[in-house]
Amino acid sequence: MKHLAQPPGLSRRDLLRSCGQGFGALALSAMLASDSSGLEGQSIATKPHHRPKAKRVIQLFMAGGASHIDLFDFKEALIKNDGKPADFGEKVEAFQGGLGPWKRPVWEFKPYGHSGKMLSDIVAPLGACVDDMAFVHNLTGKTGVHSQGTLLQTTGFNLPGFPGVGCWVSYGLGSVNDNLPTFVVLPDHRGLASNGAKNWDAAFLPSQHSGTIIHPARRNPIHDLQPHEKGRYITDASESDVRSVLSQLNRQHSLDRVGDARLDARVRSYELAARMQLAAPEVLDISNEPDYILDAYGINRSVKEWPKEINAREEIHHFGSRCLVARRLIERGVRFVQVFSGNDNGFPRRNWDSHEDVGRDHGPLATGMAHGAAALIKDLKQRGLLDDTIVLWTTEFGRLPSTQGGKGRDHNPFVFTNWMCGGGVKGGVTAGESDLWGYKPLDRDNPTQVYDIHATLLHLLGFDHKRLTFRHNGIDRRLTDVHGHVIHNLIS
Amino acid sequence: MILITAVCSAVCPERTAGCQAVSDSDEGFEAVARILEARCISCHNVNNAKNGLALDSRQRALKGGKSGEAIIASDSNNSLLLDYIAGPDAEMPPSGESLTKEQFNTIELWIANGAAWPQGRTLAEDHLNDNSWWSFQPLKKCIPPTIVSESPRIADWCNNEIDQFVLDRLLANGLMPAPNADRATLIRRLYFDLIGLPPTPAAIESFVRDSEPDAYERLVDELLASERYGERWARHWLDVVHYGDTHGYDKDKPRSNAWPYRDYVIRSLNEDKSWSQFVQEQIAGDSLYPNERDGIEALGFIAAGPWDFVGHAEVSEDKIDGKIARHLDRDDMVRTTIKSFMGLTIGCAQCHDHKFDPITQADYYQLHAVFAALDRADKPYDLNPETGLLRRGLQLAIANAKEKKADLKSLIENKIKNQLTKIDAAIEDAKAKSVGTSSPAFGYHSQIDARQDAPKWVQVDLGKAIPVRQIVLRPCKDDFNNIGEGFGFPVRFKIELSNDSDFEKAIQLVVDETGNDFANPGLDPVSFSVSGEAARFVRVIATKLAPRKDDYIFALAELEVLGEKGTNHAALAEVTALDSIEAAPRWSRNYLTDGQFIESLAQVEKLQDQRQQLILDAMTEEQRAEWKASDSRVLAAEKKLAALPPQAKVYAGTIHTGSGTFLGTGHVNGQPRPIHLLHRGDVRQPADLMLPSAISVVGLDKHFELEAGHDESQRRAALAKWLTDSENPLTWRNVVNRTWQYHFGTGIVDTPDDFGRMGGQPSHPELLDFLAMRFRDRGQSLKSLHRMIVTSATWRQASSAQASVEMQARELDSGNRLLWKMPRRKLEAEAVRDSVLQISGKLDLSMYGPGFRDFVLKHPEHSPHYEYHLHDPDDPATHRRSIYRFVVRSQLQPFMTSLDCADPSIQVGRRNQSLTPLQSLTMLNSGLMVTMAEHFAVKLAKRHDELDVQIRNGFAEAIGRSPTVAEFQAIRDVAQNHGLANACRLIFNLNEFSFVD
Repeated sequence: MKHLAQPPGLSRRDLLRSCGQGFGALALSAMLASDSSGLEGQSIATKPHHRPKAKRVIQLFMAGGASHIDLFDFKEALIKNDGKPADFGEKVEAFQGGLGPWKRPVWEFKPYGHSGKMLSDIVAPLGACVDDMAFVHNLTGKTGVHSQGTLLQTTGFNLPGFPGVGCWVSYGLGSVNDNLPTFVVLPDHRGLASNGAKNWDAAFLPSQHSGTIIHPARRNPIHDLQPHEKGRYITDASESDVRSVLSQLNRQHSLDRVGDARLDARVRSYELAARMQLAAPEVLDISNEPDYILDAYGINRSVKEWPKEINAREEIHHFGSRCLVARRLIERGVRFVQVFSGNDNGFPRRNWDSHEDVGRDHGPLATGMAHGAAALIKDLKQRGLLDDTIVLWTTEFGRLPSTQGGKGRDHNPFVFTNWMCGGGVKGGVTAGESDLWGYKPLDRDNPTQVYDIHATLLHLLGFDHKRLTFRHNGIDRRLTDVHGHVIHNLIS
Repeated sequence: MILITAVCSAVCPERTAGCQAVSDSDEGFEAVARILEARCISCHNVNNAKNGLALDSRQRALKGGKSGEAIIASDSNNSLLLDYIAGPDAEMPPSGESLTKEQFNTIELWIANGAAWPQGRTLAEDHLNDNSWWSFQPLKKCIPPTIVSESPRIADWCNNEIDQFVLDRLLANGLMPAPNADRATLIRRLYFDLIGLPPTPAAIESFVRDSEPDAYERLVDELLASERYGERWARHWLDVVHYGDTHGYDKDKPRSNAWPYRDYVIRSLNEDKSWSQFVQEQIAGDSLYPNERDGIEALGFIAAGPWDFVGHAEVSEDKIDGKIARHLDRDDMVRTTIKSFMGLTIGCAQCHDHKFDPITQADYYQLHAVFAALDRADKPYDLNPETGLLRRGLQLAIANAKEKKADLKSLIENKIKNQLTKIDAAIEDAKAKSVGTSSPAFGYHSQIDARQDAPKWVQVDLGKAIPVRQIVLRPCKDDFNNIGEGFGFPVRFKIELSNDSDFEKAIQLVVDETGNDFANPGLDPVSFSVSGEAARFVRVIATKLAPRKDDYIFALAELEVLGEKGTNHAALAEVTALDSIEAAPRWSRNYLTDGQFIESLAQVEKLQDQRQQLILDAMTEEQRAEWKASDSRVLAAEKKLAALPPQAKVYAGTIHTGSGTFLGTGHVNGQPRPIHLLHRGDVRQPADLMLPSAISVVGLDKHFELEAGHDESQRRAALAKWLTDSENPLTWRNVVNRTWQYHFGTGIVDTPDDFGRMGGQPSHPELLDFLAMRFRDRGQSLKSLHRMIVTSATWRQASSAQASVEMQARELDSGNRLLWKMPRRKLEAEAVRDSVLQISGKLDLSMYGPGFRDFVLKHPEHSPHYEYHLHDPDDPATHRRSIYRFVVRSQLQPFMTSLDCADPSIQVGRRNQSLTPLQSLTMLNSGLMVTMAEHFAVKLAKRHDELDVQIRNGFAEAIGRSPTVAEFQAIRDVAQNHGLANACRLIFNLNEFSFVD
């Protein structure tokens, strides 16, 4: 197991200095200056609270509400009672209203690994990884509304205005790489999920902790990374001269005005920007990866144009590409990568919101997800990175064990599944079960909530979730609000 | 609520007026109460009873918790409480020091003596009774200190009272103010501060040369009179109220009528409206300024924040998810109001009493009751108040004429009562048939399809082959998406008969409506004659589905198949379908043959016409004439109404009259929803009903008065008046502090949005109260406050102190809270963008109206995608000032965001300030910077022939001074080698462009 090199007791400032002049260090140096009165970041976190087991996180987010009972949470009762009138034992307030009979899982389930964990055929590639994965089948949300459900999972609050979990990780851990952001978001290639950027905005945290969106396929994969296409007057030679004169004049300006560290910090931010311009294309260029890696992630090198209809091969290609880029990012020091599967809740379905037909709409997405996620876990493992990298799979809610009349399932915020892997997570275990039908937690009084997942995540990263705080408008805000318990059963 | 003194608070039952006589045993209890309130109640109260134990009332305390009886009167040996709190290492309280021996003895003695607890007395956390925090104190009259000094630099330094307060503190700390800023620095600083744009070289030149003693004061007045001032300062206020042009949340729909509120703010600031009026209009303009355009547009304040479209438009108010969405919506209204105007974080009291400030959960929910009738929606209004008056006059005339008719009608009805009995019964009968089917079963509903041409079918099994004479299709009614009658009726369809249930062989086509679109029948039955073909199965096939909402369906209420004798053989027949939505009790395929359907209202209307004729016939000649006159008055007024200019709309907090799941309160005349205190903030745990009121601790309860039978707007009017009451200490301190902050970068209190205990202390408390009182009592003019601040010697200091002073001062006051120099301003996103546009010669100064969109909108029909990277930065429509930008919530504008503009989803009283590589990239590479640098170069080249002049002038225009020799040479080299555009791009990226001394 690897640990942060710094022994406990080292100050935050020492830690950042020894890590190089990263993003966090930049804000810190500005904060130490006398003229920093307007600069936020005063409450940059203290040193880790305890020895961390993990250094970084990759979160896989299934937008729209992925069905736990068709993918990961095997319910024999649904097979036995398929088509029979659904009796939940109480009145169920479904999002769209109108519930049909029980519906069996769309795909068959089989046991995998030493743990014998049952997985659906549609996520079979993950079978090879189950002994490294820990499942939480009793996660409970607050509402069945996509926007609120998504925000709850991404920020810990069901209303906008709070930092994403990646922002908190960035804020707590700081940067180990000068040239890349600490928190990167890889959205679905079709567009953003519910709430868009509200899922990864820094909100009241200093803005360097915002998730930086990377669109690997765009000319400017990071916004403004290279000059806008209208800047045809900008050449490599002009760029080099402009940078050098700029640095010279700005340094002089700073020297003439003692005591305002922001001025010097600005000079350095331009230097960092130049390094990022070199580093970002390198990290996104997967063409140098060996064929066996590209094949493992299912990355296509022959198809030039994909069919219009959603299809599994294309899903494998896109999700696999994002997973591979995620691995390259964390290898180079990025702390948190958020990988999305699924666009907004429109028609035809291009996310997990399968009200009409689970088989049709979950099928290609789940195939792509399982393929990419399995490749990622195996790849991290063979590189020794899985020891200190957490992979967290989540969604805004699950789906109900009954139909809506046809082949689809309505939202189930009452119970759904998360799984975690690597970074100190115990493999092959299940912490928290759902009930007979996958309708609610088996133990209704003791469900798992997103706060517990977040508390566990922070714990593995070396933080007590109750102490990683930021003072905003008179409140010491934290990721877990006033809730959260570390799930010790998940920790090795 | 009264302001309780510290002594009184110990013996006054919480929140009852006045002190009561105190008995001996009560006195014993009060000592115990003080300990419990200070150390125990926060974790052991009715809302938060750790381990099941609540100690805030006699009944609950004696009941005990999960571990058993905590307190047994007169039995201290068996009272568990004492076990937990005894000794220096006691288990309770879990944090902080253990109770002292003396405190323990007090409690032990009290229990031994019978644990007397005064009737009805409840305990609350200590701080809830404590209003001693500075911000809750009344404003104090503060006299500016007199500065006495031998040194003329000190004695003559002060320009106004601000300086006296500031200098007094500096001297007391052994500090001296920095030298005065020079004129060139001053004018640049003043321009950015007041109007957010740089001065032109000509303006600088003229000010520097102006030798009149009042040159500076004239410049200040000129800028305050400029319309650019309102555009600059409106942005500050819009940050606070989290204004946006889209809803946010899921789908993030555009909010196309938000901008009139933004324009209202600009206009109000330019008019220098009194602060009271500005506050009152935004909370209750419809009630307090009913005949004015501002009174309506200002209500955009209440609706400025995000709105959960799906939580309202797709989930009804009686569902839990719907309740949560509406609770969150009101929560935003309450928090925005209290934070914007008073700087308190009341949102904390949603689940429990505030942890630090004396704000109870009841305070919070009483404020919910103030806004309980409102929703966020487009509110129609008349731009011209005279039109509004006319409109109301005409509406009144119509109402009066109709009332007259109603009176006359009831007179006649009485007269011919007997004649009406029969027809009334007939009407009731027809009505019952039309809407009165007790069953809510609507009928058959197919699955929803994205394509309109996806074929769908539904069929009935008649049990055996029967000759068919007639087929009747009865349409549905569903208010979903305002569709109503004829819901789901296919646009094109055909009907087939067969004896094969799969319709694979021997199919007889009996109805074919697939060639042309079939007009939607509403609720009228659609009947087809058939020539007696015999068949067991009847199938209706929709070949072109009915539109629903960006998608398509097929629905029918009833299918009747009539045989030779007119019998309906399809009654209760088995139904199959390609697909269906089984959503009992409304939709199921079996409902197609259940005999339940809604009959057209045509029959009812026919009978009502007959009834009307009976009444008319019974009138006298005179009465008929009167009736007709009323009729023509209504007609005439309606005609005039139609001729009035159309009403404008503003997205505002308003009574909403909607349909489907987003009903609003318009249907019940805007009657406020009942508001309950929610235990732990949970909509499933409503407690006591709450009446509208404000926050008790401020001590102005008597200033919040409502008469019985008040309408909802009076609730808001009462709150508005309470907020602007001259004795409300927070309102006046808050506005003055916010204003100060925008001038100096930091407020006198450095937490503008939190004046509570977790917020900051004022650096100059007397100055704050002096300014607040002066502002309140002298016209509440922001412009006069600006004038006082920017003409002070404090504000006119240089932004660098002398090196020797700097060292000493930083040692003592590194944050410069004492203002020993002027803080250097880092330009805000808007100021950077507007300056770049102005300097490049592209700034379009046209004011007001819908916001410009610097993105490409894709998929607007469902979940809009706002694609900034596809925008053409050369589109002149987007070259207006940044205040007019269309502000999207879910996808933030990258340029503005990387420069720390406010996030429209949260209230921002003070922006973050960052320096990141992404910010550098945006300043170098964004479409705006790259194109404007080129335009700047073109402009310079047009004006001047020589490169040297182009560079000198360009530099002066952007930076506000001439370049030094070194600067000039370095920039000229770039221009010579790489062209002027590259030199201009360089100038825009200079530190001195973004930082204003």
